[in-house]
Amino acid sequence: MSTTTPAVVLSGITKRFPGVVANSDVHLSVQVGEVHALCGENGAGKSTLMKILYGMQQPDEGTIEVAGEQVRFRTPADAIKAGIGMVHQHFMLADNLTVQENVVLGAESLHGIGGKARKRILELADATGLTVDPGVLVERLGVADRQRVEILKVLYRGAKVIILDEPTAVLVPQEVDELFATLRGMQQQGFTFLFISHKLDEVRSIADSVTIIRRGTTVGTADPKAVSSRQLAEMMVGSELPSPETRESTVTDRVVLQVENLGLVAAEGTRPVLDDIDLVVRAGEIVGIAGVEGNGQTELVETIMGMRKAHHGRVLLGDRDLTRLGTLSRREAGIGYIPEDRHRQGLLLTQPLWANRILGHQTRRPVSKGQWLDLAGAKKDTERIVEDFDVRTPGIDVAAVALSGGNQQKLVVGRELSGDPVLLIASHPTRGVDVGAQALIWDEIRNARARGLAVLLISADLDELIGLSDTIRVMLRGRLVADADPATVTPEDLGSAMTGATSAEHATGASPASESEGE
Amino acid sequence: MNPSEAPATVPPPRKSRRIPGWAVGALGVAGAVVLLSTTSYLTGVPQLTSTGTIQTAVRLALPILLAALGGLWAERAGVVNIGLEGMMIMGTWGAAWAGYQWGPWAALVAAAVFGALGGLLHAIATVTFGVNHIVSGVAINLLGAGLTKYLSTLIFFPLSNNPRESPAVPKFDTYSASGLSDWLGELEAQQRVGLSDVAGILRGLVTGVSPLTMLAILLVIGSYLVLWRTRFGLRLRSCGENPVAAESLGVNVYLYKYVAVISSGALAGIGGAALVLNPGQPGYLEGQTNGRGFIGLAAMIFGNWRPGGLLGGAALFGYADGLQLRSGGKTFLALVYGAVLLLVVIVIWQLVRRRWFAAAFGILAAGLLYAVYYSVEEVPSELTTYAPHLVTLVVLAVASQRLRMPAADGVVYRRG
Repeated sequence: MSTTTPAVVLSGITKRFPGVVANSDVHLSVQVGEVHALCGENGAGKSTLMKILYGMQQPDEGTIEVAGEQVRFRTPADAIKAGIGMVHQHFMLADNLTVQENVVLGAESLHGIGGKARKRILELADATGLTVDPGVLVERLGVADRQRVEILKVLYRGAKVIILDEPTAVLVPQEVDELFATLRGMQQQGFTFLFISHKLDEVRSIADSVTIIRRGTTVGTADPKAVSSRQLAEMMVGSELPSPETRESTVTDRVVLQVENLGLVAAEGTRPVLDDIDLVVRAGEIVGIAGVEGNGQTELVETIMGMRKAHHGRVLLGDRDLTRLGTLSRREAGIGYIPEDRHRQGLLLTQPLWANRILGHQTRRPVSKGQWLDLAGAKKDTERIVEDFDVRTPGIDVAAVALSGGNQQKLVVGRELSGDPVLLIASHPTRGVDVGAQALIWDEIRNARARGLAVLLISADLDELIGLSDTIRVMLRGRLVADADPATVTPEDLGSAMTGATSAEHATGASPASESEGE
Repeated sequence: MNPSEAPATVPPPRKSRRIPGWAVGALGVAGAVVLLSTTSYLTGVPQLTSTGTIQTAVRLALPILLAALGGLWAERAGVVNIGLEGMMIMGTWGAAWAGYQWGPWAALVAAAVFGALGGLLHAIATVTFGVNHIVSGVAINLLGAGLTKYLSTLIFFPLSNNPRESPAVPKFDTYSASGLSDWLGELEAQQRVGLSDVAGILRGLVTGVSPLTMLAILLVIGSYLVLWRTRFGLRLRSCGENPVAAESLGVNVYLYKYVAVISSGALAGIGGAALVLNPGQPGYLEGQTNGRGFIGLAAMIFGNWRPGGLLGGAALFGYADGLQLRSGGKTFLALVYGAVLLLVVIVIWQLVRRRWFAAAFGILAAGLLYAVYYSVEEVPSELTTYAPHLVTLVVLAVASQRLRMPAADGVVYRRG
């Protein structure tokens, strides 16, 4: 399928944001008429790269060539003119407008907004498999049809190169198959696709070539037909971080957290988000949950914390049944919780540090006395956290927003380890923090473990999982499908298990439950 | 991406009985006429459908209609315009100032300009500086009232010797379809059931029509055509539905919001002119708008953010206002009886659809209203003055269940 001139060439692209380098020295070459997959973990820099190609952001360094000519895109309009279109992961559609209105919006000069536009839409609709009348409101369409409308929008503007940003994230498997059929049909008509995904099985089934991106830089291009999912996973995950080792086991026999047969259904008639979860965390033990994001880890944590109501199953802390308790009661029972998004769930950004210290502890000493908050006590205890956890701040009266991400996270960790919890649930405890804060947080978790704390650790950082955990459970599509021993497992093995890449030890087929109980 | 947050793949199939908008409107008008003539027959109050009542209703509906149109323009572009009242007040002052010097057409233009200035202010605050739409709107209401008070003391006081009032403003000549009007007049005088009511209503609509009325009707039709049938309108509405998507497709969202909110102010200003140029009023009078900007907003919401709907809403509020102004408490009591009749129809409909709870609620309300009708001789005049406000309250409470506002209405949009 290769011709002499590639459709798109990105070379040496570097993009810095304040504090982070999103892309550094990225190289990507896409041939005309191929489906080129761009693979990488969340946060690896795929989306930034595509925003650069679509003109939504400007690169700090590097060049873009389209059909052999060097171009500079200042706005998406420039990219559209050059024949590049983008289908966003989160649909850019107005629900209360019709399909036709959504498609012609911004491109009215091509065929107007009346009958001629309608005719053109009907011509193009065939290619995308859209069968609804253009006069129908978008709010009445299902997700798959909305995606077709998005593709239609791009086609209507005459795009030849189409960027699909995680197009399968919102689709069910049959819809994915339909989408792939559509893509293959359009590929034969000469369209080129850039397909962003971290789902390796999908990439292997649709892509003609695949480029792997890890930590903001491209690590290589491969032929997906020639390599295994496992090899791809190895490339995606890499193994660069120094391992956060914790050896000498402190695991005891005392069960702290016991989750039995836990199930959660998001909406009637859909696949359960959590399916028959059985989990035990003992005092002095760190249990790591590995999994590609969106496989139910968030829901598992939120169900244990009581933020979501379990469909069935039980949650026990020690021998106390928490299943019917609310979140505050569960915290009072001795659960500390480092949420995955400290801005959304962990902190009140505009409030001073000592006010943030009170959150979640508002009924307990030292920040409250009876029905009254003890502000002096809260301030004093905040001073302690600032001291012990090395929170770099000019004082405890500054707003949380003034702190860097690492220091905010140290404050959250300090707060959650206050009040002698028996269980700590740590969701991505070191996500987006600098190396120094990371080391400190790891140390604190290790120390707490040595004191007999039970820890449930969820992380996308496989080195962190392997280094800290005493036991690793792998989560896939809402189930715990496999176990791994952190002493022997490699990030590559874990990556394969997480993506469901089949290998002998980690069969994901008919009997996942028996597989996970093999210990 | 969190799969649990993804929307359901296939939405529940909706039963679609597609009745075109004009048919709904025609049905509504027919229903209203039938209701009014039935009430008029049963209560023996012919004023309900008399020419005079309708004429007054039209005159009083105009400001509400124009304010509602103004609301439509702003909210379709995603800016909540609760400052309509203030823009309308500025319009009244502008109309009086230009009107007493250069006549009614100048009054109209000046009112539009003054209202548009208010709109511009609202746009600068909400679009450029991202001020909360409600806060900015309330500020404009206060500003409009304060500014006109100051200006009228400054300019009108030397002329009229009254700081709260302008000199008399010349009005538009009115036009009647004379032959038709006379024939309808004869028909109305015969007092035949139904027929005379229809004749009275029609005669009210074609007799003594001001150019302003025609202009307002043209503006309603024009707004529909511009907003729903042109590329400009599509872009404007897209800003109210999903500005992020619109921007990603090359629509200059800020520009369209500016245009929409300024137009909105101009329309509200013309609404103010309609008050000043109302033949029943000498000219500008402090406190003249008396909440009509808010009622206009309510009419627009009642009309589900559609031009045809807000026309119906304005007609309803204008009618309630006209009736109390013209005929007082006794006639208004007849309207209460009409409401009972309407409720009975609604209850039957709910029973057919097996909505027991709604039906029971309707029966209760109808019973209460009938008790009021039965026990009271005449609605006290203190209460009838608030007729339009009461109708607004009741109608919004009942009708706001199935309304669909623009999706990004009231959301502050930041580029990038």
